[in-house]
Amino acid sequence: MIRAPRIPSARLGALCATSGVVLLMLPGVVWAALGVELMAMAFWLWARAMPERAEPMARWSWLRRPAMALWLACALFMALPELRQMYAPVVGHGPSSPFGVPSFVPAPLPVSRDPMALLRTLAALAVLWAGLELMAALPLSRPFPDLTGPVRSLGPWLTALLPVTGFLVLWRQAELWTTAPFVREVATVTLLLAALLAALRAYTRRSLTASLRWLVVFDCTLASMLVARGVVPGEIAALLWLGSAGGRLIALAAELRGQAVRRGAQLTRLWRWAGWLACSALAWPLLYDVGFGDGRFHPLEFAVLMSAVFVASLLWLQRVVEAPERRAVARPEDRVPLISRVAAIAVLLAGPLSLAWVWKRVMTDPLTALIALVPMALAWWPIHRARVVPEPTEPEPPAGPGTRDFALNTFRAVTVVERQMAGAIAVVARLLGAPARDLHSGDAQEYLLFLVGVAVLSLLLPLLR
Amino acid sequence: MNDVVMPSLAFLAPLAALVTATLVRRAHARASEPQPWFDAGIATALLVPLAVLVSWPDVLTPARAAVAAGLCVALLANDPRDLPQTEVALKLLWVLLAAFALSWAGDALLALASGSARPREQWPALALALDPYSLWSAAASLSMLAGLVMLGGAPFHFWAGDLFHGARAHLAPFVAVTLQVAGASWLMHHLTGVEAFPAAERLVRAQLTLAASVALVGGAATLANPARSERRVGALVSLQGGLVLASFAAVPWAAPFAAQGGLAAWGGHLLLAASGASLLSRFLPVGGSVSDGASVLFRRHPWTGAAGAYAMLSLAGAPGTPGAQLWLGLARTLADHRHPGLLFAVALAWLASFGVAAAEIRRAFGAPESTPLPEREVPGALRAALWTACGALLVLLWAWW
Repeated sequence: MIRAPRIPSARLGALCATSGVVLLMLPGVVWAALGVELMAMAFWLWARAMPERAEPMARWSWLRRPAMALWLACALFMALPELRQMYAPVVGHGPSSPFGVPSFVPAPLPVSRDPMALLRTLAALAVLWAGLELMAALPLSRPFPDLTGPVRSLGPWLTALLPVTGFLVLWRQAELWTTAPFVREVATVTLLLAALLAALRAYTRRSLTASLRWLVVFDCTLASMLVARGVVPGEIAALLWLGSAGGRLIALAAELRGQAVRRGAQLTRLWRWAGWLACSALAWPLLYDVGFGDGRFHPLEFAVLMSAVFVASLLWLQRVVEAPERRAVARPEDRVPLISRVAAIAVLLAGPLSLAWVWKRVMTDPLTALIALVPMALAWWPIHRARVVPEPTEPEPPAGPGTRDFALNTFRAVTVVERQMAGAIAVVARLLGAPARDLHSGDAQEYLLFLVGVAVLSLLLPLLR
Repeated sequence: MNDVVMPSLAFLAPLAALVTATLVRRAHARASEPQPWFDAGIATALLVPLAVLVSWPDVLTPARAAVAAGLCVALLANDPRDLPQTEVALKLLWVLLAAFALSWAGDALLALASGSARPREQWPALALALDPYSLWSAAASLSMLAGLVMLGGAPFHFWAGDLFHGARAHLAPFVAVTLQVAGASWLMHHLTGVEAFPAAERLVRAQLTLAASVALVGGAATLANPARSERRVGALVSLQGGLVLASFAAVPWAAPFAAQGGLAAWGGHLLLAASGASLLSRFLPVGGSVSDGASVLFRRHPWTGAAGAYAMLSLAGAPGTPGAQLWLGLARTLADHRHPGLLFAVALAWLASFGVAAAEIRRAFGAPESTPLPEREVPGALRAALWTACGALLVLLWAWW
């Protein structure tokens, strides 16, 4: 008898994840939904192949949520094909600030013109939800970059893949969600908070691999904000993101393979410069737009974003230090780190070259542009105190006084509040759903009771017109 | 090409479902049956009238719908040795008799008020406003009740769960789909010509919107609750009744799912999907978590399991299945007729059904185990039945694409 070939779960998972990322690059929300579904399947396949599978399978089951959100968006766009044209008649300018009231309010709201507008906004929100959740920008998925993925060798790197998919969703489907009313504002506020929390969390983690995962989240949120606010064209935002997040991903992969980007003083310095420059190129136009967009200064938004960017830049400069050599014989690739050097140069050039493409269009005022550069430049100030940070092998110590502890306490406070709010909503939903659960006991008398109840209701309702 | 394929699909789908039922009945033959294939053939022959009704719903007048319901109950009560199935028959008889009694009372009142027993003549007669509102509104409301019960949308979703749990695997899908098609025909017959009386149309639309909302939201809320997979399949089938109600709420005088071939195509798909899903559900573990081991079917024959999973996904309307075309068709109808509330309820129900079906399939595949494979294989007839349902659904997908 011919038996179908059995493919090992790990390989099947890798195939699914690779196909998922490729599909996410394609335009079209169907491909995005399929891509995220494949990514969720990859994590499920990897988790079920682990020896202690119960916990990882439960831990990564949330990945079906963003996939479902995208399927919902996909179904709504297919059911309502005219969705794509509906936002065109909305007059007015873009929002003046992330927290500002959108300027299309004086015009009649879309809901008043078209009863389907609510569903169209729902479709846009579903796309946004999927992207944000994959980027750890929503309360339910916030803690995932702290965890390692369900593959032993690649686990710490695998988690960093999820914010990447989140950005790809938001970037490739930008035209579906950025033009919907209120969605852009919701996205900006959520991403701003996520960027700040990611920077704080990266700062509190002592291990460089954990910090790098959070820095990837940080880069993805900044790049998504560029897309949401339309600061630069989508392709440029993607290139800026590729330079910054790509550099962190390479550094993370290298960390897991003998700290390859931190071998030797010269290579370490090159990577330090490359990462800082790439992150600066990503953050600079955003700081300029958020702080000084619309011809006036927005102190609150600028301060929040500036502090996040400052912490992230400082962290990179302080943490990327030469790794202590503990080996008697260095690896050949460490002696001539050609690949690492080429990658560093690519990262070094990607951001500035992309920015140079749109320089004149984005930054119209040179003085303001210089002010927007301050947070990144300030990060160099305490760098002379940079030293080798020991890699901890034990769990994080409890919070105490100090900047790191302040950051940790802030992050924990926000996540605890978020979790309690999500828990409260879940309790209410359960309470509301409890009668439905008890609706049917299987008793034949109940059949008749329902029938009589509905009959009486159908007689009474017309009389209450 | 489509002119030939589309009409024949209405007959091909029930035919494939009959083949599936024969295979299932053959595999479930009792040891005391000396000629299992012959007995399976006889059992299938008894299902032919139901298959004809599903493929040709136009013949179902209200009286014939009642006869069809009676036939379903008789088929369920046919084997006195099968106690759970007999219990289902009794429960259905209990509720259907009462529902028909109430609806016939409504029909009689309508005839009294309008002076005609034909719906096409009743509505224009009532539009003359010679009768009090309370009389004809009460009559119209009551007359639709049997249709609501037979469609099986919440709060009448219990019979579908009981049916798939208690009745035999080859019989449950036929009974469920015949009752639902009969229910849809009942409503369609009673709503014929209602557009001639705007006040009645408004009333009927409001009531059907309420019924569809309850069926979709209530069905979605109860979908994840049952511990047994068979009941979950029943809940998915009851959601299909909610879809028909939503379609009537949007356009009370038109046949639902016209783009896919009408009620016959909907019934044919439902028959195939419910047959595959119902059979698959018998192989799924009761309770348990996603990290438990796979069931025997999925350990020994994972590709056959995947074929069964396709039927369940189609029943849930997952993307890439013919079931999704039905959900999308309904969503387009609701969008065209500006029903955002119902469209939202449909979206909610679709998310719940797709999510539950996907979770069920993950649970079915379970986690890889290092223990040796079970010695006994799943009977070939059952595997062939799953593949038949899956293949026929793929043909439907190709035809509807």
